[in-house]
Amino acid sequence: MRWFIPYGNPTYFIWLALAIIPLMIGLLYGRRFRGYQTIISLFFLILTFGGPNWKTGIALIGYFIYQIILVAGYSHYRQKKGSANQGWIFVMTVILAIVPLVIVKVTPAIEGGRQSIIGFLGISYITFKVVQTIMETRDGIIKEFHPILFGQFLLFFPTISSGPIDRYRRFETDYKKVPERAEYLDLIQTGVRYVFQGFVYKFIVAYYFGTVLMPGIERHALMAHGFSWNIIAYMYVYSMDLFFDFAGYSLFAVGISYLMGIKTPVNFNQPFKSKNIKDFWNRWHMTLSFWFRDYIFMRLVFFFMKHKVFKSRVTTANVCYVINMLIMGFWHGETWFYITYGLFHGCALVINDTWLRFKKKHQDVIPHNKLTELFAIFLTFNVVCFSFLIFSGFLNTLFFGPNKF
Amino acid sequence: MDNVKETVISILNDLTGEDFSDNLDENLYDSALLDSMGTVQLLLELQDQLGINAPVSEFDRNEWDTPAKIIAKVEEMQQ
Amino acid sequence: MSLKKRLFMIFGPILTAAVLMLVVFLSPLWSRLSYVSPKVQRNAASSLSPLVLKGQLIKQRALENNYVPFFGSSEWSRFDPFHPAVLAAKYHRSYRPFLLGARGSQSLTNFFVMQSVSPQLKNKKAVVFVSPQWFTPMGEDPNAFTFYYSPLQTTTWLKQETGSKMDRYAAYRLLQMPSGDSDKIIAAALARIAAGLKPTKFQRNYINVRNRILANEDQIYSRYRIPLNNVKTIGKNMKKLPRHYHYRQLDELASQIGKQQTSSNDFEINNRFWNRRLKRHVKDLKNFQVGQSYVKSPEYGDFELLLNQFADDHTNVLFIIPPVNQKWQEYTGLSAAMLKQFDQKIKYQLRSQGFNHIDDLSKDGNVPYFMSDTIHPGWRGWLKMDQAINPFLTKKVSRPHYQIDKRFYSKRWQQYDY
Repeated sequence: MRWFIPYGNPTYFIWLALAIIPLMIGLLYGRRFRGYQTIISLFFLILTFGGPNWKTGIALIGYFIYQIILVAGYSHYRQKKGSANQGWIFVMTVILAIVPLVIVKVTPAIEGGRQSIIGFLGISYITFKVVQTIMETRDGIIKEFHPILFGQFLLFFPTISSGPIDRYRRFETDYKKVPERAEYLDLIQTGVRYVFQGFVYKFIVAYYFGTVLMPGIERHALMAHGFSWNIIAYMYVYSMDLFFDFAGYSLFAVGISYLMGIKTPVNFNQPFKSKNIKDFWNRWHMTLSFWFRDYIFMRLVFFFMKHKVFKSRVTTANVCYVINMLIMGFWHGETWFYITYGLFHGCALVINDTWLRFKKKHQDVIPHNKLTELFAIFLTFNVVCFSFLIFSGFLNTLFFGPNKF
Repeated sequence: MDNVKETVISILNDLTGEDFSDNLDENLYDSALLDSMGTVQLLLELQDQLGINAPVSEFDRNEWDTPAKIIAKVEEMQQ
Repeated sequence: MSLKKRLFMIFGPILTAAVLMLVVFLSPLWSRLSYVSPKVQRNAASSLSPLVLKGQLIKQRALENNYVPFFGSSEWSRFDPFHPAVLAAKYHRSYRPFLLGARGSQSLTNFFVMQSVSPQLKNKKAVVFVSPQWFTPMGEDPNAFTFYYSPLQTTTWLKQETGSKMDRYAAYRLLQMPSGDSDKIIAAALARIAAGLKPTKFQRNYINVRNRILANEDQIYSRYRIPLNNVKTIGKNMKKLPRHYHYRQLDELASQIGKQQTSSNDFEINNRFWNRRLKRHVKDLKNFQVGQSYVKSPEYGDFELLLNQFADDHTNVLFIIPPVNQKWQEYTGLSAAMLKQFDQKIKYQLRSQGFNHIDDLSKDGNVPYFMSDTIHPGWRGWLKMDQAINPFLTKKVSRPHYQIDKRFYSKRWQQYDY
């Protein structure tokens, strides 16, 4: 038995193909073999979290039981007749839900890079799913708690390691039903296309940028001790690698979900074509940015406006942008470069909004044509690439890393 | 019931600066007239003016993306 | 559209692609496509690219012509006007070096590189540069080995292995590296060989199919990925040499250039290396090599693999043992006595088995402008080496008589305090 990072190598795909063929035949003939699906899910979870990774497997099981109990408890509280729906109970539940993630993220920062023993691959993505379920339970949108369905949702193996982040209500609808044959055939067609597009992205393009080009550029940049044009080259190469690697992975996850008759939302929509930063966040790592938009940004805005914390709408929005992106930075990890990355994007959103307001006010004098749009795309692309250079941590290695010779 | 329609249109007018009386099927998000900020304001105004208690979670963009859909949703929630 | 037709529309292209791929990569026809242009051979010979090192076709074709393999590691990348590749080209020698090796490629890597050109080594000549720095207590770094690991060379070797002591030891060493474990079926075959058994029929078939696929890949792609920089570097360096070869005159020129290019420091280390790699850390490096030893190392066993393969192929080999920059050696506290011990131990391993062509430069660490940096020869070092390389490769050398002694594989020899 070998142990695999999901979608890491060809063998994993062979296993995957063999495992889902029976499921696909079932779906084509109007049946969803839920028991079988659970068995293959377990199989693939063991491939990733078993063997030499068994410690993370234990962590996953512990985490899973903890969250199920937590959500069950809160649902019970919220769904009994005449629930008081206390704010502090809700806040406590959310805090308890994110405590494991916080521990995992903070441990390396205070223990000199050592990983926490309660961590496992994909913990943050499951935490997102738990938190949104609690929030929607609080709002009364999720009216029933099914431990089995909820478990299937949390541990849905195609997306377990790095998303996309699905929504419980959406997943539940798909999981409960069997798609019509015509609809399912369309899903298969799209799914197969996504998987093959993923191959091109991850194993050809990202390989070229990340494995062929990057190491040389990185070495040259480090050797220069300080600024060199290689840093600029590194910035673009890293950005390309980041996109094609992650987008490729996301395409696999979405494609495989489709083959299983689950319409997991897509994660990328040609992000480098964005005309501004806001547009970018509507196209880049979409399920994450939408999650932040729906469960953090909009709630913050709602709270601030309802309690009239700030006088102007503009201030409210700006404060919320920065807080929202800062939290995203902290979520990536407790290092100066992740946090700076968050802050950078927060400020970029503020500047972006200010500019758009200014432009709207002076519509008559500021030109808007194909050329300015091209310029906007170019500018956004470079701002984004620069933010990825911060994100990469390369500047950290360059300026503060141990001296290498 | 006309009251709901008028109120929604007037709220949208305040938020976007556009009059939707004859344009009930215009997509508010595709045309970038409404963003997350505007959405929250819309929800707050609906709460203030019509007593609709729509939590942010309820908000599925696909179900709220034209004035007509918003009016329908609000009417449904008032019952 | 019927269900079958629709499914065929979706999966048909995939199946077709899979069949096409199998046909292409399993086809024996590719082996006919073995022509490699002289230009590609020349580019590859000085490229020092890991892809060339891991490949097969280009090296085979080049060694069938007038190229001679120069096995080693990072030293080949120190190009200056006196580099063996520059001298051979400038003075129209009958041979051209095919430089094999880069940072971290040690005996074990070179042993597997030899597997890909074993037929081309039979009764031919070769040069081996033996770095003392290979012989650290841990031996070959698994990461470096992985970087240069070539499944093609491994399967080529497995196809011709006979269960000899050499094959068993190579299998045993390969299993200690992460690469040896990267293919489970090959790992199982290696375990059998190491234990003295033949691979099973299934394993043999698998190895043959893998080898066919990898060899075809090599036939199809290897010509196209060769970096060219070093050809240009060699050309530029040739221009700095006088038209005719006079040792004295060249030696003077080497001193001159060496002097110019080491002006920044007192260690006679070339300015580029000094400024980029050492200057900032020089304080921390004082005495950092105290206690370092090259006398006890698994590398001695790996080195024996190399010797054994040369003996099997009756290859006439010139071994070059370089010095360490003496000023640097003293500054960093590297023991001179230990270096001498290393020199004697490695020479014993060579001589006692009949490898008598040894160019021992270990005492030249204090010769001015002999070393380009801390451990790599430059200017006058290259030139002195040429005094051994040129006659060895251009004159007739008697047929070697090697007697391989299996005891050099033993732990006892590896750890022997000579």
